[in-house]
Amino acid sequence: MGQSDPVQVLASETCTYLLLPIVDERVVYCVVRLNRYFILFSIVDASNNSRMPTVTMYESLQKKAPTILHQIKKSLDELNEKMDVIIEIQRHHQEKIPSIPEGTLDVMTLLSLPDHLRKTAITLCRLGEATADEIAEHTRRARAVESGYLNQLVLMGYLKKERRGRKAYFYAENQS
Amino acid sequence: MGKIIAIHSYKGGTGKTLISVNLASTYAKKGRDVCLFDLDFRAPSLHAFFKADSVEHWLNDYLNGLCDIEKVLTDFTPKNPGKGKLLVGLANPSTEAIREMSAKDRKWEMRALGRLLSLKNSLLNDMHTDYLILDTSPGLQYSSINAIVSADTALVITGTDKSDIQGTQRMIQELYDLFEKKTAIIMNKVPCEVMPSKNQAAILRNHFDMKHNLPILEVIPCSCDILSAGGTYIFTEEKPEHPFSKTLEKIASKIERF
Repeated sequence: MGQSDPVQVLASETCTYLLLPIVDERVVYCVVRLNRYFILFSIVDASNNSRMPTVTMYESLQKKAPTILHQIKKSLDELNEKMDVIIEIQRHHQEKIPSIPEGTLDVMTLLSLPDHLRKTAITLCRLGEATADEIAEHTRRARAVESGYLNQLVLMGYLKKERRGRKAYFYAENQS
Repeated sequence: MGKIIAIHSYKGGTGKTLISVNLASTYAKKGRDVCLFDLDFRAPSLHAFFKADSVEHWLNDYLNGLCDIEKVLTDFTPKNPGKGKLLVGLANPSTEAIREMSAKDRKWEMRALGRLLSLKNSLLNDMHTDYLILDTSPGLQYSSINAIVSADTALVITGTDKSDIQGTQRMIQELYDLFEKKTAIIMNKVPCEVMPSKNQAAILRNHFDMKHNLPILEVIPCSCDILSAGGTYIFTEEKPEHPFSKTLEKIASKIERF
């Protein structure tokens, strides 16, 4: 066991994962490549079995590695999705969407909104108030995408956002 | 769950109210519970159709937040056993009310949209109404766009006039499509010379579908009988065997299958 052990490689469309054969006590290190960035993760054995020989522990962690790496991949995909939303929001900002200071979300405003925001806004008008999850259920788009659009509508002054516990609720003011 | 149908047109005088009333009556005859709303606040007309003299609450009051929707509904169910209910919500025809409704600002229109959208819960879910038919103002008025946004289906009435057809095409592209509405077109008051037979009606439908990309649901020929009635009675109730009543039955069935 050591630097000469084979390096495990898992790849997806966006990321490459390298499981490094480096063992330090109960830790296996893992390097994930995301585009041009490298992220170092440590995978810790939580069993705390100090009697387990180092080699067995490495093998045990190696078995768990694919599951852990898939979880990492899922998290990174979610991160990517959020980054896409941020990029899209920035792009739409550059297109200078007309904003109205009073933030009145009436039908004429709905007509003037770009298609992607109109869908979110109409769905929210129908529901009265909703979380990004609830909107996504109706529009059949990703929650992260709806969250981005809702926040954009908040920035444009058309919607209000209120945190209740861990959830953020969006609503159009003056619509009740 | 029930369905909300907005009846709209590009130009005035196309027969929206006539079709709204008779479609509502046709559904009631089929045993469906129907609500019919007059959302043409600039030129209310259903009060005259139903000869409503002692109305306490108007749709204006509901949209102003002054009363609940139940207070606005007046029962005009035909007195035939085994039929569905026909409840009507009327717009206030007084000049003062028309003037007041014309002067509403955007915030009020936004609240009005919220109140119209909430009808889905109050009328369709809670009161188990099968159809809510919204008779709207022609063109791009706030009240009619509010109605279209609230509706599940938009039924657009057009004549054979060129400007009407072009305007309808524009509304489909720039209004109904943007709101992702199921839209159906009824071509009304078609001159008999243009449509002398049933076969001709199908040719006319295909022509508009292919040439103007207008999906025509039904073609209704111009009828002197309807003009003679002058809106004094519900045609489909009084003359159920008339071709107009039969066409309305077809329209009702087609919308049910949407």
